[in-house]
Amino acid sequence: MLTTLRAVLGKSDAEQTEAVFLGGKSGLTRYANSFIHQNVAQSNTSVFFRSAVDGKVGTSSTNSLKKEDLIRAMKTSLENAKRQPANRDFKGFPNPARYKIVETYFEPTDKYTPKQRAEVIKKICKEADKFKLTVAGAFSTSTSEVAVVNTNGVAAYQPVTTAGINLIAMSDTSSGFASGLSRRVVKIPFASITETAIKKCLDSQNPDVLEPGKYDVILEPEAIAEVMNWMTYIGFGAKPYLDGTSFMTKKIGKKAMSPDITIYDDANDTAGLAMPFDFEGVPKKKVFLIKKGLVGGPVYDSLYAVKAKTKSSGHALPPGSGEGPMAGNIFIAPGKKSSQALISAVKDGILVTRFHYINGLLNTTKTLMTGMTRDGTFRIKNGKIMGAVKNLRFTESITGAFSRIGGISRETNLVPNWWDTLGCCSSPTIWIKKFNFSGKTDF
Amino acid sequence: MQEKLKNIIHHLKTKKVDYGDARYVFTTHQSINVKDQTVEAITSNDNMGVGIRVIVDGCWGFAATSSLADDDLIKTANLAMKIAKASALTKRENVRLAEVEPFVDKYETKVKVDPFSVPLDEKLNLLLEINKVLRANKAIKIAQASLDFYRTNKMFCSTEGALIEQQIVESGGGYEATALGAGEAQRRSYPNSHRGDYACAGYEFIRGMNLLQNAERVADEAAALIKAKDCPAMDTAVIINGSQMALQVHESCGHPTELDRVLGTEISLAGGSFMTLEKYGKLKYGSPLVTIVADSTIAGGLGSFGYDDEGVKACRADIIREGMHTGYQTSRETAPLINQHSNGCMRADGWHSIPLIRMTNINLEPGNWEFNDLIADTKSGLLLDMNKTWSIDDRRLNFQFGTEVAWEIKNGKLGQMYKNPVYTGITPEFWNSCDAICNKSHWHIWGIPSCGKGEPMQTAHVAHGTSPARFNNVSVGVSK
Repeated sequence: MLTTLRAVLGKSDAEQTEAVFLGGKSGLTRYANSFIHQNVAQSNTSVFFRSAVDGKVGTSSTNSLKKEDLIRAMKTSLENAKRQPANRDFKGFPNPARYKIVETYFEPTDKYTPKQRAEVIKKICKEADKFKLTVAGAFSTSTSEVAVVNTNGVAAYQPVTTAGINLIAMSDTSSGFASGLSRRVVKIPFASITETAIKKCLDSQNPDVLEPGKYDVILEPEAIAEVMNWMTYIGFGAKPYLDGTSFMTKKIGKKAMSPDITIYDDANDTAGLAMPFDFEGVPKKKVFLIKKGLVGGPVYDSLYAVKAKTKSSGHALPPGSGEGPMAGNIFIAPGKKSSQALISAVKDGILVTRFHYINGLLNTTKTLMTGMTRDGTFRIKNGKIMGAVKNLRFTESITGAFSRIGGISRETNLVPNWWDTLGCCSSPTIWIKKFNFSGKTDF
Repeated sequence: MQEKLKNIIHHLKTKKVDYGDARYVFTTHQSINVKDQTVEAITSNDNMGVGIRVIVDGCWGFAATSSLADDDLIKTANLAMKIAKASALTKRENVRLAEVEPFVDKYETKVKVDPFSVPLDEKLNLLLEINKVLRANKAIKIAQASLDFYRTNKMFCSTEGALIEQQIVESGGGYEATALGAGEAQRRSYPNSHRGDYACAGYEFIRGMNLLQNAERVADEAAALIKAKDCPAMDTAVIINGSQMALQVHESCGHPTELDRVLGTEISLAGGSFMTLEKYGKLKYGSPLVTIVADSTIAGGLGSFGYDDEGVKACRADIIREGMHTGYQTSRETAPLINQHSNGCMRADGWHSIPLIRMTNINLEPGNWEFNDLIADTKSGLLLDMNKTWSIDDRRLNFQFGTEVAWEIKNGKLGQMYKNPVYTGITPEFWNSCDAICNKSHWHIWGIPSCGKGEPMQTAHVAHGTSPARFNNVSVGVSK
């Protein structure tokens, strides 16, 4: 692929040109009411071109790999560039740099078949049947290739495989959720995921009504990861930082959260969904977003790095996304206690398995968000789970909440982010004190 | 391309599938984004491929490829059949499809000015000029404007004999001005938030939006919000403007009446619905003023087309009639479960995706009120305008929306501006409190190009015809 792209770039009339290849195949099997109702596969390729002339950058893409289509798309990107005023922050595409060798392709995941996925789901359905529960969810396996080439000499290529499953077990009055994610399908513990979802469903039957208010809350990794998706979007990137809409703006080195909280982005850590370079071919650097409660700094791509007079941290998105650089591999540093020890220390609180439909745009500088609980919300009394409660709405400043830490678990779980195969959040379970629940619903 | 699709169908027939269809889609998308007098991106994207859907052994299989080579298309058809056989491992009962006439037809969006024929310079200059006006207000620290154009050519061919060609053209755009101050950001948008307004139309739609003419007002309002008081917390009457009503309809009526959701097949990601089958025909969803229809035939609606992606002809169907829940959005697979034919809501967001039940134009029918009369008739309350935040539970009952701005209404007159308004409620309680809807002259179809659903995630282009409406005893300002 690198050879093909280089050959096409050789025909460019621009001062600088870049080509980004994204291609691969994926399969996803969805199940609900304890049978498979959707089962899909796709193979696709996309090639993005960016052409630069006189400080102007234009973008185009095609999913045809025919040489004439590639050259036409590249010429379109140059035409798009010529028509616009110069961007004073554009100082050229990145130069070559060495990125880490990271193993991200695993053949058993690549070769996994629809039948194998269906057999896993059949076992899950059978297990749920034993408890007279139904199950729903999705199980996906994919293989992708990413290649970045530019006329400055950047030539980066990485194949990646990903497998992920989510599972909801359901009774007439309750539901329970669990999930798994890995580059290696053989590492996903399907049996324990099934067991967790079923247990949560059984334990959360016949929930009680709980009035909204401030409660100590145990947030499990799925709940934390959903919050981190929004933090990534509204706070951790250079675009909101430089715009002045991020909680980080003018706060580098200042306290934002509890000293117990450290959040970093590390795409070279194979405990996450590793990917050693970004969509400009820039090696990924480890970036401390929050270090012991203090604001570290945002992530950068090459354009925003120029604006901020710094260097790219290797967090560019695919060309034309418009969102600016994004942190995609979030790690929250674990604590020393077990999750069970955290629960045991809570006198009067709530355990949240998962949040639904969070919105983080209420007040981005204060990280004010709202969202609902779902799939397993439990009452904690005197250190013990005392049954389930109906779902609640929270409205809370996340930096505020993360300043009131009661404890952090040593166990972590890996949860996919909005960018699916290219990002994730590794999170412990976290005890937050006096978390604000602002509303309730009927189930 | 027609021959290639016919070859696929012929191959599927020789393999004796229960059912099969092949769908070719070629989409061209042009997007222009300008921020603070800098062009953030001008992109042109072409995307094409074929998706093949089959029923084998009573189960679904789907496979898609971007390669149009004959061998690859047959391999993809074989993969779809293999996948269907894998699905059969957990089969409970055979998939049954509602009957549909196998149409042989063509459909095109009616366009006055092909948006791809309009010079890039004209589009770019419009956005740069808007940004210049927005940034002329010193309080505005971020100005963003965008235009998007899509041309989608589709061809659908089925083992039942359907052969349908469609060309859908979509145009849209908008802008936002953000003021910073007092430790927060305040935004006003035009003509709608989240990238503006969209329609199945040509560039005439962009020219008709009066984008530039509204820029100064929008900047002034964003600047004023910084100095405005926070919206007080209270239970009060609210008049919700049209674009926010569109999102209210979308989240609290559109999604919960998708029959696949109701049947639980979207539960793992987007959730289910409180509008379950036992409530069908019995649920008093709203007040007698509330009538909501799904109508994919309306000229210009972003959810309009000739045929859905199962070959079902576009139509109009009741969802809520005078407050009562009277219908669902359906597919050929789900409609027989309520003893109906499909009302044509199955759409995929490209060749690579399987069709799902997606909103078309889900419209709140207009009432009788003049807007000024409605304000004059309101003793105490708030006028809420334009969406800022949205959140709703996984059965679509408890919702919370934030709007960009609120204005006090006191003794029938608009008063001071408030910032950070949010309102919350339980869906049927909220819609039953509706006591006034503005008339046809205030009614507009708002295009929303970003409706997410499904795994893998699909993004649908949908729309909602709405006019401003009044609701009573609504809980406002609960984020405090």
